Amino acid sequence: MRTLVFIPAWNEAASVAAVIADVHETLPGADVLVVDDGSTDATSARASEAGALVASLPFNQGLGAALQTGYLYALREGYDFCAHLDADGQHPPAEVARLLAEVEADRADLVIGSRYHAGAAEATNDDYRPTLSRRIGTSVFRFFLTLATRQRFTDTTSGMRAANRRVMQLFSENYSPDFAEIESLQLAVREGLRVEEVPVRMLERAGGSSFLTPLRSAFFIFKGVVVLLVGQFRPRHAGAER
Amino acid sequence: MGFLALAAASGKVHLTPQTRILAAFLAILFMLLILELIRRDRLQERYSVIWFVAGLGMLAGAAFPGLLELVADLMGVRNTNVALFSIVLLLLLGLALNFSVIMSQQAAQITRLAQERAIERARAQEQENGTQRRGSDVARQGRREPQ
Repeated sequence: MRTLVFIPAWNEAASVAAVIADVHETLPGADVLVVDDGSTDATSARASEAGALVASLPFNQGLGAALQTGYLYALREGYDFCAHLDADGQHPPAEVARLLAEVEADRADLVIGSRYHAGAAEATNDDYRPTLSRRIGTSVFRFFLTLATRQRFTDTTSGMRAANRRVMQLFSENYSPDFAEIESLQLAVREGLRVEEVPVRMLERAGGSSFLTPLRSAFFIFKGVVVLLVGQFRPRHAGAER
Repeated sequence: MGFLALAAASGKVHLTPQTRILAAFLAILFMLLILELIRRDRLQERYSVIWFVAGLGMLAGAAFPGLLELVADLMGVRNTNVALFSIVLLLLLGLALNFSVIMSQQAAQITRLAQERAIERARAQEQENGTQRRGSDVARQGRREPQ
C-alpha cells in the first residue's frame, strides 16, 4: 500500500518546509510531493531541501490545476491512496492521517476534513476563527452544495482531503481549474463515489496571507454558485467506474 | 473597411457605381488578405472559414444591393440600415464567442501541458534521488570490503 501526500503551494516558502517535516514525522510511510504552482519565491528550493519531491508548474495555474497535478501524479505513479493539505500550516498532518485511515479502511472514496463539522466545534473554537466574509461564503456554499448533492456538507472549501484510486481517476481527468473544491465534491457525488466528512482541528495560518478580500469573496461566492448550477447539468462520465 | 462595404450595400444609401465598385474591391482585398495570412502561416485554415464567409457577405452586398432590402423585409425591419447593423452585430458577437471557446480550449491544453511537464520533473527528481541512494549504498559496501 503506497500513499502520496501532496501539498499545493504558491509562494509559501515561509511555511512549506515545516509542513513537510511535520508530514514526514507523522506519516513516515508516505511519499511527499509539493506541487509548486508557479511560485516566484523559494518555495520549490525549500521543499526539496526538506526532502519532498517537487512538481513545478511553469506558471501560476490556480489551485485547481495544482491539485489536479497531484492527483495525476498519484495516479500515474501507481499510488493506492493520496491526501493533500495546505502549505500554510493550517492543517495538522495528524488529522490528515485520520482522513487517510478512512479511505484505507474503504469506508469512503473521498474524505474531506471539516473544521465546521459538529464533532470539530468544541475542538476548534480556540484554534480557528473564520472571518466574516468566509463565514458568509461558507454558509452559501454549504446551502447550495447540499441542495445539489442531497448530502450534507459543512466544510465545502476544505483543502484537506484523502482519496483512493477511483477519485484519482476522476479528478485527474475532470477537475475545474477555476473552482476546485466545490465542483469536485459535486462531481464526486454525481459520479456515485462515497464522499465522507470527518471533523478535524485546524490552526491559524503560520505564514502568508489569505487571498480573500471582501470584494474577491463576493466574486468568489458568485462564481461558486454559477459553477454549481452549471455542474448540475453536466453529462455524467463513465470514467469513475472500475 | 467592412463597414464601408456594408454601408455601400445599403439600399437606402444612394449608391453610385463607384461606391459599389469600391466596396466590391475592398471585399476582394479582404479575402486576399486572409489568403495571404494563411500562406504565411499567420492564420490557420480552420479559423479562416468564418472570415471568408464574412468577406463573401460583403461582396454579395456590394454586388446586389437589393439583397439587403430583401433580408430586411424578411426580418420585418423597415429601415435597411437597422437590419444591416443587427446582422453585423450578431456576426461579431458570434465571432467573439467563437474566440472565447477556442481560448478556453487552449487554456485547458496549456494547463495540461504545464502539469505534464511538472510531473516529468518530479519523476526525474525521484529517479535521481533513487540513484543517489543506491550510489551511496554501493559506496558504503565498497568501503566495507577492504576490511
